[in-house]
Amino acid sequence: MSPELIQPLFDFGVPLFLLALGYFAGTMAEKSHYKSIRVRELRLRRMPTTNLRRPPPHWRIEKVALVAGSTVISVDYFKRFLAQLRGFVGGRVRAYESLLDRARRESILRMKEEAAKQGFDAVINVRLESSNIAAPLRNDRGTAGVEVLAFGTALKLIRQP
Amino acid sequence: MILTNTEEVPGRAIREFYGVVTGSTVRSKHFGKDLLAGLKNLVGGELKGYTELLHEARQEAVERMIEQAKSLGANAVVNIRFATSSVAQGAAELFAYGTAVRVD
Amino acid sequence: MEPLENNVSPEHPLGELATLVLGLALVGLALLAVVWLAVEGAVRWLPVAWEERVFAGSPLESPRARELDTLMRRLARHWPENAYALEIEVVEAPAPNAFAAPGGQLLVTSALLEQAASENELAFVIGHELGHVAGRDPLRALGRGLLVSLALAAVGGDEGASLAASAAQLGERSFSREQESAADRFALRLVAAEYGHVAGAADFLRQLPDAGEGGAAVRAASWLATHPRSAARVAELEALAHQNAWATAGELTPLPAGLRGE
Repeated sequence: MSPELIQPLFDFGVPLFLLALGYFAGTMAEKSHYKSIRVRELRLRRMPTTNLRRPPPHWRIEKVALVAGSTVISVDYFKRFLAQLRGFVGGRVRAYESLLDRARRESILRMKEEAAKQGFDAVINVRLESSNIAAPLRNDRGTAGVEVLAFGTALKLIRQP
Repeated sequence: MILTNTEEVPGRAIREFYGVVTGSTVRSKHFGKDLLAGLKNLVGGELKGYTELLHEARQEAVERMIEQAKSLGANAVVNIRFATSSVAQGAAELFAYGTAVRVD
Repeated sequence: MEPLENNVSPEHPLGELATLVLGLALVGLALLAVVWLAVEGAVRWLPVAWEERVFAGSPLESPRARELDTLMRRLARHWPENAYALEIEVVEAPAPNAFAAPGGQLLVTSALLEQAASENELAFVIGHELGHVAGRDPLRALGRGLLVSLALAAVGGDEGASLAASAAQLGERSFSREQESAADRFALRLVAAEYGHVAGAADFLRQLPDAGEGGAAVRAASWLATHPRSAARVAELEALAHQNAWATAGELTPLPAGLRGE
C-alpha cells in the first residue's frame, strides 16, 4: 500500500470506525439497560417513594435507616462526537439526556433495592446528586461519564399502609 | 447509630443537638481499572469500577461522620447530605455531612 | 402507575448526526468561500512594499545562503515584473524541502542541497518558490489560515477555539494544487530562459516517492493531499516543454563549489 494512501486512510478511517463502534455498542448497551430498568421499576412500584421531608402522619414507624444507590455511566465515542457537534449550533444534547435518565433511574432503583433487601417498606426524602467524572486521558476535556447518587430515608412500618 | 436524611427521625423526638458532623475521603482506583474506563469511553455502558470506587468512598465517609457523632455522644445523625467531586485523574472525593443529635 | 417516559428526546441519533454533519458542512463551505473571496480581495489590494516591511527578516548569514542568493538573482533577472527585494536562507533539516514565506523570503533545507545532483535541479526548485512569491501565495495562505481560525473561534466557542489552532496550521502550510502547478510552470520558464534548455529541471520531482506508477487508489489519495502527484507534475512539465519547444536534453551545470558537501 503506497504511503500516500495510508495517511488519509488513517485520518478518516480510525475515527469513522470508532464512531460506528460507539454507536452500535452504545445503542445495544442502552437498549438492554432500559429493558432492565423497566422490569425492576415494575417490580418495585409497590414501595412508596417520595421526596417529601416527612412521612404521612398516620404511619407508625418501627425503624429508620439511610439508604443510597449510585451509578456511573460512561459516554461512548459516538455520543461525545454528537455533543461536540451540538457545541457549534446549540440545542438539545439528546445523547446526554439518555445518559442522565438512565443513571438517575438506575440509582433510584438501587436505593429502593437496598431498602427492600433490608426489609424496609418505604423511602422518604429522596434526594439526587449528579456529578461529572472527569475524562482521565486524551485531549478532550470532556466527561468520561456522569455519576448520580440517590439517597433517602427508608422506613419500616409497624403496619402496612 | 441512626442515620436519616430527613430533618427529624420519623416517630422519635430529638432531645439534644450536637452540631454538624462531617466525613470525607478521597479515593483513587488502581491503574488497571482505569484502562477499562478508557475503553468504556468508546462503547459506553456502566463504569462499574468507578461505581464501586464511589460506593466504598461513600461508606468510608459515612463511617467517619458516624465516628465524629459518637465522639460527641450522639445516637443519631439527621439531615445527611452528600457531595461528590472528581478531583484528579481517576480519583473522587466524597463528602458527607449531617447534624448529630440525641433522640429518644 | 409509572410516569410517562418523556425525559429523553425522541430524535433518532443517526438522524441527528446526519442533520448536524450536513448542516455544519454547508456552513463550513460557505465560510470557506467567504474567506477565500476576502483573502483574494485583500491580497490584490496589499502592496508588495507593505508585505516586505511587515515580514522581511534578517540579512544573509551563511556563505551557502550567499551562493544561493547569486543563483536566485540570476533566475530573477528573467522575471522583470518582480517588485520584491527577495531573500534566501538555508535551514538545517533532515528532509529535502523548500518554502516560500511572506515578504519574499525563501527557505531551503540543508538536505535539499545535499541531495541536489545539478545546479539545474536546484534552479528549478528555487524557481518554483519564486513562482509562489510571484503569485503571492504565502500571503494568501497566511490570510486564509488567520481568517478561518478567527471565524471558527467566533462561531464555535469552546469547541471552535481548539479547532482554530489546527486549522490555522493547515491553512498556512498548504498551497492549492493550482498554485503548485502555476509555480511549476513559472519555474520551468525561468530555467529555460537561464540555461537554454530544461534538462535536469524535473529531476527533483522524479526522486519523490510518489513519482512511480500507482493505481486509481493512489490517484484518489493525492486528491486529499495538497501537492499533486509528482508523476502528474512531471508529465505537465514535459508537456509544457514540448509546447514551447524547449530542449529537454542538454549539458547539466554542476553545483557551485560553495553549495556542495558539508
